[in-house]
Amino acid sequence: MGLAGAKNKRRLGNDPNNNRWSRNTESFGQKMLRSQGWEPGQYLGAKDAGHAENYGAASASHIQVVLKDDTLGLGAKRNNGDECTGLFDFQHLLGRLNGKSEEALESELKKREDMKLNSYLERRLGTIRFVRGGWLVGDVLKEEPQEAADKPEVNGAPESSRESTEESAETEPSEPPSKKRKAEQDTDKDEEKARKKEKKSRKRITESDAETDSADSKERKKNKKSKKRKVDSVESDAEPTKSKKSSKREKKKEYSVEEVDTSAEDAKKTKKDKKKDKKDKREKKEKKEKKKKDKSASDSDVETGDSSSKEKKRRKEESATPAAESGVSTPTGSGYSTPVTTTSRYLARSRFIAQKKMAFTDSTALNQIFMIKS
Amino acid sequence: MADQKGTKRSSVESDAQDSKRIKTDDKYNPYLAHLNMDGANDDFKSPLDEMERHNTTALQAAKAEDSDTNPWTGKPHSENYFKILKTRRDLPVSKQRAEFLELYHKTQILVFVGETGSGKTTQIPQYVLYDELPHQTGKLIACTQPRRVAAMSVAQRVANELDVELGQEVGYSIRFENRTGPKTLLKYMTDGQLLRESMHDPNMSRYSCIILDEAHERTLATDILMALLKEIAHRRKDLKIIVMSATLDAQKFQSYFSLRKEDPPAPLLAVPGRTHPVEIFYTPEPERDYVEAAVRTVLQIHAVEPEGDILLFLTGEEEIEDACRRIGLEVDDMVRESDAGPLAIYPLYGTLPPHQQQKIFDKAPEPFRKGGRPGRKCIVATNIAETSLTIDGIVYVVDPGFSKQKIYNPRSRVESLLVSPISKASAQQRAGRAGRTRPGKCFRLYTEKAFKKELIEQTYPEILRSNLSNTILELKKLGVEDLVHFDFMDPPAPETMMRALEELNYLACLDDDGGLTKLGSLASEFPLDPALAVMLISSPEFYCSNEILSITSLLSVPQIWIRPNNNRKRADEMKAQFAHPDGDHLTLLNAYHAYKGAEQNGEDVKKWCHEHFLSYRHLSSADNVRAQLKRIMETHEIELVSTPFNNKEYYTNIRRALLAGFFMQVAMRESSNSKIYKTVKDDQMVMIHPSTVVSSPYDWVVYNEFVLTTKQYIRTVTNVRPEWLLEIAPVYYDVDTFEKGEIKSALTRLTEKVKRRQAMKGGH
Repeated sequence: MGLAGAKNKRRLGNDPNNNRWSRNTESFGQKMLRSQGWEPGQYLGAKDAGHAENYGAASASHIQVVLKDDTLGLGAKRNNGDECTGLFDFQHLLGRLNGKSEEALESELKKREDMKLNSYLERRLGTIRFVRGGWLVGDVLKEEPQEAADKPEVNGAPESSRESTEESAETEPSEPPSKKRKAEQDTDKDEEKARKKEKKSRKRITESDAETDSADSKERKKNKKSKKRKVDSVESDAEPTKSKKSSKREKKKEYSVEEVDTSAEDAKKTKKDKKKDKKDKREKKEKKEKKKKDKSASDSDVETGDSSSKEKKRRKEESATPAAESGVSTPTGSGYSTPVTTTSRYLARSRFIAQKKMAFTDSTALNQIFMIKS
Repeated sequence: MADQKGTKRSSVESDAQDSKRIKTDDKYNPYLAHLNMDGANDDFKSPLDEMERHNTTALQAAKAEDSDTNPWTGKPHSENYFKILKTRRDLPVSKQRAEFLELYHKTQILVFVGETGSGKTTQIPQYVLYDELPHQTGKLIACTQPRRVAAMSVAQRVANELDVELGQEVGYSIRFENRTGPKTLLKYMTDGQLLRESMHDPNMSRYSCIILDEAHERTLATDILMALLKEIAHRRKDLKIIVMSATLDAQKFQSYFSLRKEDPPAPLLAVPGRTHPVEIFYTPEPERDYVEAAVRTVLQIHAVEPEGDILLFLTGEEEIEDACRRIGLEVDDMVRESDAGPLAIYPLYGTLPPHQQQKIFDKAPEPFRKGGRPGRKCIVATNIAETSLTIDGIVYVVDPGFSKQKIYNPRSRVESLLVSPISKASAQQRAGRAGRTRPGKCFRLYTEKAFKKELIEQTYPEILRSNLSNTILELKKLGVEDLVHFDFMDPPAPETMMRALEELNYLACLDDDGGLTKLGSLASEFPLDPALAVMLISSPEFYCSNEILSITSLLSVPQIWIRPNNNRKRADEMKAQFAHPDGDHLTLLNAYHAYKGAEQNGEDVKKWCHEHFLSYRHLSSADNVRAQLKRIMETHEIELVSTPFNNKEYYTNIRRALLAGFFMQVAMRESSNSKIYKTVKDDQMVMIHPSTVVSSPYDWVVYNEFVLTTKQYIRTVTNVRPEWLLEIAPVYYDVDTFEKGEIKSALTRLTEKVKRRQAMKGGH
């Protein structure tokens, strides 16, 4: 955080680690240990103990602690996400000034725009998403336990699970309803077939999923083309050349459930349909926006984020469509999983920011400001 | 078997103590002939008599269990017994009884792995009981537990299962309470208690089998016990040892318990783990605010997931109460505006009163109307729900990946209690809680990457996180001379050991050659930290051992002050009534005296405590501790004296006596009017904890604890005069040993002043 960040001032003594004490070879403790045959740098414990290989670093020196006085989640960086207003929009320009290639700039722009859209979605629909991490059977983590394979997984919605069992009867009876996973597991099978089925299943789940998976409802509004895009991306996943890591990651299905918020909008199930309409309208708008912007593949997609560069390249060549959508409900935006709630207190401010951003997105205006001849 | 009339009294009851007589058969005893009059059938032998020690089979044991007469008491089994027996036979361990016995006969040390809830804690000791037949040898079976509550409740449970009275055949022994009798065959105890016993019985000769339960928790006492038992196992080939763990690191135990290096690892018996798989979910991105995310996840689960209770792990009392409140508000909204089911929310943390802790076992609420959405309960807990407690019905676990851990830093001698990431093992353990009743789900509020990269493999065992001065004193008392090569499973950092030795040396518990002094030996008799013990032992010199005894007991129980969030002001006002301007120690004493006064006046003490924002539970347990300590003092002939209350030296004496134990925990104010103090010798910058009542702090204070929470604080503080330091602990306050600085110059000035004064006195 820059100058505007919260100041956290702490006074430290001259010797906060008390090195003076630890270096003092004359202390009683050190004398005692030495007299019993200990040398600095050695572990304590039995002479050539069989279990000595199990000793950890904490047996050599005391455990270091980090003072944590916030509620930042595990793995989150303090700075992540709350970017300064507007700076975002300068990136393109600054990049050009720094002499980045046009191509790189373009892809960066795409990434940012996806992020923006995603964070917008996130704010509006506010869901917490989870990715599958396998099953813990006994003490061992497994990708899939045999007996659990036919258990409902998506939101536990009975309908979707029934659907899936019907469907998977055609191919693999033990398949979970996870469409994505299925597509992947079919890797070696006929690609064409897989593609078709994928398409079919997509459609079906969007229609059947009563839980109104926000992502799915979004999907429904997507035109056929976008669906095809998805299939492309899936297909690319199904490529046997893909690295093991990426395949494993992709196997994990997005888990997305509707966030129940205080707002009546989300909480009331009975109003679902009405709500959907509203959402659709919103999404139409977004789509328009998106169409303008999304042209090429972007790697902002969480799922494919760390797949091998080779694959990325390949995909870029193959599909001129964004793979971002294959992440379905994974807006990657803010870099956090829990969206920030827009409470009324922020509304005015966010409107203001939006206006400012609008100005910034107008490239001609920007160019004028910076006196750049385009 | 059913028609067997086991009227013959088992030899257990009458002869448990006298091992010589055990084999005599009551049949030939004319005085007991009436017991054998029932000649209707010849099969009146106790089924135990047919069993040969260390050669029994599961079948025989089952037969004994099925008999109408209790083989341990000779009384007929109650109806309830058979009911319990049936459920016992359904436990996962039950299927492996034969396998267990086979391994048990073959080896001296056995590692047993079974999930919490597999029944190992209650069943294995009973299996051993039916094999060891302790009434024949007169040697007991001990089963250790890390927690007092567990020891008590498990003992009660097992007493019920065996259809005996608690405190008779089955008993327990914990730090300040002993419920065992001469008939006791099976004894549950805290690991610390067994360690204390071993100080007087280094071979543990009272026991034929020792079971270390919950060894995976790696408490300090368990770690020391394991090392001791490993040693004893060489000397006593007849002693059997079972190490029971609930987690994956069984290998570590196995390799540790191969007695010699060339030996194969100790054999392992595992009861197949949980019956149901748990599906793990990660977030795709890190969380900005884990509490917020946790609250939302809970609500989300409540809204869309099928029936099943929720367990949420958070770090501390405040966070838990806050989360409970937030979830409660949101759920109210949810219920009002949609047909969501009811959600009962229960907090769970260590300092919660027991009756509130019990609530977590309540059934989930009923749906609002018939056929409505099912209700569920949500338990928001610290990591005590991770291993020690089994709550049925949990299907969803929400794990933000943090817990609070106590970690001791030997350099600055600060004990930190900070929120830190959990370990992988701990995360798996938490997830496992979801699969107890049916397949469950665990929602981890971090990414898979974070799980793999940011979490350590295992939680640090307590021995690596604690101040070891008490442990070292115990080891010395146990006769361990070579501390450097003591066979720790995880040896502590050398600096921690050094610090402990140094502290004990300054306290005069160890002489300059490292030998245990008389004072040290006496101090080890007290189940207290050495500083407290030394303070208590030397208190008669200051004519205030009664008062110091009370203060010591109050310092050995959790905080007695209650400060509820919604009534802080009132609580502070009440505390101010007891406040002594010179220190928190004295304030504690005042509160205790007031409590005893109320008790003597015949007031309703509970009510009185409630009105005065004091914890009745902790005060009464302090009272109990005081009685125990008093007994120890009496056995060691430590005088109990008091300065008359109207003597103006009354409080001064107490303050001076505090220094006798705590002279190493003194801080000096940096400059007048500064809030910052510096600890003596270690030069750590500290502040006085806001909970203090000291209104006008002196330049020098003695403190009970040095903790690092959000800042470095010293807590429970009392004003002292620097002259006392020179007088009471001249060795520690030898000016020459101090590093140049404010403290040194202050002490130098002081010494000169004292010298001058003495010279003046001498001149007169």
